[in-house]
Amino acid sequence: MNTRAVSNEFAKMRHLRVGLVAVVMVVAVLGLSLYTVVSSPTFSPEAPGAWNGLLAGMSLGIPLVFPLLLAVLASRQIDIEHQGNGWLLQATSGLTPGGMCRAKFIALGLIVTAITIGTSLLVLATGKLLVGIIPPVPFVHWAGFTGCMLAVNLVVLAGHILVSAKIDNQLVALGIGILGTILAVFSQGLPAVAAHLTPWGYYALAMAADYRGSGFVALPLPYPSIAALAVVASVVFTIITYRFDHQEA
Amino acid sequence: MSSTIVATENLTKRYGNRTVVENLNLAIPEGCVYGFLGPNGSGKSTTMKMLLSLIQPTSGNVEIMGQPMTRGTRRSLLGQIGSLIESPPGYAHLTGAENMRLVQRLLGLDRQQVDVAVATVRLQDQMGKKVRDYSLGMKQRLGIAMALARQPRLLILDEPTNGLDPAGIEEMRTLLRRLAGDGVTVMVSSHLLGEIDKTATMLGVLSAGRMIFQGTRSELMVASTPDVIITCTDPQAAAATLGSFNARLTEAGEVAVPGLDDRQTAGVVAALVGEGIGVYGVARDEQSLEDVFMHLTAGGGL
Repeated sequence: MNTRAVSNEFAKMRHLRVGLVAVVMVVAVLGLSLYTVVSSPTFSPEAPGAWNGLLAGMSLGIPLVFPLLLAVLASRQIDIEHQGNGWLLQATSGLTPGGMCRAKFIALGLIVTAITIGTSLLVLATGKLLVGIIPPVPFVHWAGFTGCMLAVNLVVLAGHILVSAKIDNQLVALGIGILGTILAVFSQGLPAVAAHLTPWGYYALAMAADYRGSGFVALPLPYPSIAALAVVASVVFTIITYRFDHQEA
Repeated sequence: MSSTIVATENLTKRYGNRTVVENLNLAIPEGCVYGFLGPNGSGKSTTMKMLLSLIQPTSGNVEIMGQPMTRGTRRSLLGQIGSLIESPPGYAHLTGAENMRLVQRLLGLDRQQVDVAVATVRLQDQMGKKVRDYSLGMKQRLGIAMALARQPRLLILDEPTNGLDPAGIEEMRTLLRRLAGDGVTVMVSSHLLGEIDKTATMLGVLSAGRMIFQGTRSELMVASTPDVIITCTDPQAAAATLGSFNARLTEAGEVAVPGLDDRQTAGVVAALVGEGIGVYGVARDEQSLEDVFMHLTAGGGL
């Protein structure tokens, strides 16, 4: 990958309020996670499964907040190319549209990675310092959930980059983001097979914990499904961006 | 102006059954300003995109600086070709300076190259402004600065005067002349001859995807065969006598005869004298390049 192209993508982010969107994502998920535990009558910081309350909160908050805001991030970064004749400018400098999409994915992907991991760590720190949860942190489960969310976020981001690049009208991309939010939230009530059908369904599949009966319980993470999604998405993204490279201006 | 910097051989582009460019044989000498003329939709932009390998020809070849332009060679060749295709590029949310830094970083240029390009288009005092606050002329100049920053041997400009006011057009002409003076070969397209007539040293005229003329301005004038204007004692009788040559009376009371070569002109004069009509003067009609261009593009060729 052309590191200069990736550096340029970061330079283009100036004045696009990427930082503000990132802060909204982190704060919104943190708020929803805290609300989940605060609003639960059975939650106790001393209970052995206390961390599951925050994991359940994140499992609800991330699908509710991320799909639309990932669409916003991708859309803003791509729309500047449509508006500024950037595709042709870069193509006449030797950087093909597919190459640009890959550069944008790496640049935005690094930011989404930072947001996802940052959100996870912030919720963890808040649970320890603010909520005062006493039992030890289930690090493996926590890290596994963070990894799963990161993988799904990156897949959704890649999809939005392709949609925004292909369709000039960014309202379509944002509409898909809203649809994705609905799918991500409602897939939690669908059978697992149905949740496997769209990238947003994997948010529901990767729930780390949920309220069952008398309290929050940890749920097994679907590592094989997430790995398969990541592999399929990587192949599809590579093929489509390769096709963009050969698309005529 | 010795070697050819751009050459195409039977360059053709078809979209389904629609032929946009057909058997184009361009030859652009190095160091010239090549005016690429044609009405809207005649295939100029498509040709320029094929030269830059932004679209692939259906058939035919493109050779630039002695090398075939293909997907394999385009990256290295594009390093020596500056271009401005369609609307001027520029990220509106960034300043002019930030836009230039993007080009500088992508192409690995040094600061001096960027400064020279900006100074060439005289935009150095506007670089702190966001591009969304630029006028169209300033955006065009920024686009040209982006193209010039790599210090190209060849500059391809697609209708750079589109939307500019007369002062902007004159400024663009001056810029093109200056670039040519510095040794840059400039290919500039327009659908208006007047816009590049005074700047171009070579002209190529495209109509419906086909090259109908390529050469110097004077060759274009010669090739268009202006009417022969005859001043005589009895214009009405002369026009009747030369009816088979499609002669017509002009408002000035002269007889205009189209499409005559020198030998035919002599024969026509002899015929009039033979009919007892006194001939005072015989001259070629003065016509502007604009007239020639309109005639060529309307008629589909010479």
